[in-house]
Amino acid sequence: MKTKVKHILLFVLPALFFYTLFVVYPIGYSFNLSFYSWAGVGEKSFVGFENFKTILFGTFSGEFFNAVWHSIYFFFMNSIFELGLAFIIAVALTSKIWGRRFFQTMVYLPNVISMVLVGFIWSMLLNPQWGLINSFLELIGLESWAQPWLGQKETALTTVVMVNIWRNIGFYILVFMAAILNIPKDLFDAAYIDGAKNNKIITRIIFPLTVPTMQTLAILIFIWSFNIFDVVYALTGVQAGPYRTTDVLGTLFYRTAFGGLGSSRQDYGLGAAIVVIIFIMVIPLSMVYANVLDKRSRGL
Amino acid sequence: MLRLSKSATIILFIVLLLYLVIVATPFGVLFLNSFKSMREIYLKPFAITESFSFDNYVQAWKKADLGSAYVNSLIVSVSSIGGVLLFSSMLAFMISRYRFRFRRLLYIYIITGLALPARLAVIPIYVTLNQLSLTDTRIGLIMVYIATGTAFATFIIKGFMDSIPMEIEESARMDGATPWIIYWKIALPLTKPALVVVGLVNFVNVWNDFFFPLIILSSSSKETVPLAISVFFGEFSNQWHLIAAALSMSIIPIMIIFFIFSKNFISGITQGAIK
Repeated sequence: MKTKVKHILLFVLPALFFYTLFVVYPIGYSFNLSFYSWAGVGEKSFVGFENFKTILFGTFSGEFFNAVWHSIYFFFMNSIFELGLAFIIAVALTSKIWGRRFFQTMVYLPNVISMVLVGFIWSMLLNPQWGLINSFLELIGLESWAQPWLGQKETALTTVVMVNIWRNIGFYILVFMAAILNIPKDLFDAAYIDGAKNNKIITRIIFPLTVPTMQTLAILIFIWSFNIFDVVYALTGVQAGPYRTTDVLGTLFYRTAFGGLGSSRQDYGLGAAIVVIIFIMVIPLSMVYANVLDKRSRGL
Repeated sequence: MLRLSKSATIILFIVLLLYLVIVATPFGVLFLNSFKSMREIYLKPFAITESFSFDNYVQAWKKADLGSAYVNSLIVSVSSIGGVLLFSSMLAFMISRYRFRFRRLLYIYIITGLALPARLAVIPIYVTLNQLSLTDTRIGLIMVYIATGTAFATFIIKGFMDSIPMEIEESARMDGATPWIIYWKIALPLTKPALVVVGLVNFVNVWNDFFFPLIILSSSSKETVPLAISVFFGEFSNQWHLIAAALSMSIIPIMIIFFIFSKNFISGITQGAIK
């Protein structure tokens, strides 16, 4: 349909205004800020590419690449577990199984709790002295497996990753379920008439037809991996202990911009520069993602 | 949809049960601990409390001043969700129903925000609010939530509207109805399933958010629930029985809302609100 410009503006402007003012403009402003040194009060002083040099090659590079590596670790673990496990559970939940509706609801339950609260619930479960995890291991005779999961370098990061997966996987399960339920019934019927077994149907029909969903989800997992903050904040604190072994870009940014004990330097400009580096990695992919969604919605 | 043999059904059912245990246990432990004393938590991790009482809840409620926090959270959540639903559905309606210049560009501009880590731009957001004298106000917080909710809401609602036939709207237009009447009287009621999905996702995000209130609000009278509860993480950080009670209280409202809407929510998603 066509309509007058004044109507278009009436409908478009409110959302466009808020979105531009508090989402797009701040991102642009971060780019600007990254060329300054600024403690938050007083005058900003222009420093050119100094912040980027400090982060990439200077005194911050050790911490920065440590955090980047952890974010990439998050991405790999999340891709394998969230996509793999979610696929399997979604296949189960779209089959005729007793209590399906109940399971579908329960699967999404952790997603409605905030990450910060999830972090505190799990630090209760993982408490080395009285946490349920270690108590359970002792109960079934595996005392030797009991350990301070979050307190030692070897296990801390993986533990944080697992808690993150526990919280988020429900979303991926629902999206996979949507994709599987979208597959035309005839395909299944025809395959069964031809005498196909379930494992063939999973590998030859369900899997290939959910690959596009996996691709878009993988893009989202990549972007969200560089955006992780709450779960680390809640489980191991802003200091991302022990010895920064759970540090990610989100916590590094928080320490740099807002300080906190042990941060070597507090500076909005330096914080903004970290954010800009994250944006440079993430924004092209965001646009690819938006394009894919747009094309798909137009049936291309 | 797979057709399963008896044995396969049983195996999958057991797998799902195990998964359910992993999902539900942390919540169970939280609720159990919220009724225990600190001593009981230490000594008997699996046991149920010996002397059942709401003492922990009363103490936690007072210490964190949860009463006013609930009011604040409710004001912020309801207003920002109302704003997101109204403005985003208006935008989605225009993009879905009308042809105009820059339409596709506008759509891509908006949904790029689906994948932008908006929270990382928190310094400029704070600075902007400050220039508008809106730091430490609920309205500032609400505006930020409306903005950060727009991309997802527009994407879902537009996608849903695309699947609704246009005949009724076309004939209403022939009868001289304005776009506003068509939107409000015809399109919006038909979009209800998508609005439920968007509303619930936004409610969860806003109710739970710790980050923006932490940065934007500073006076304790305006604190939202997650912020009020964070008092336990510092001052009383070893009082796990109180923490458990406080966390339970902040989780319960959202669980109730989730269980009320979960059927609509899950069918909304699986019937193609998200692809």
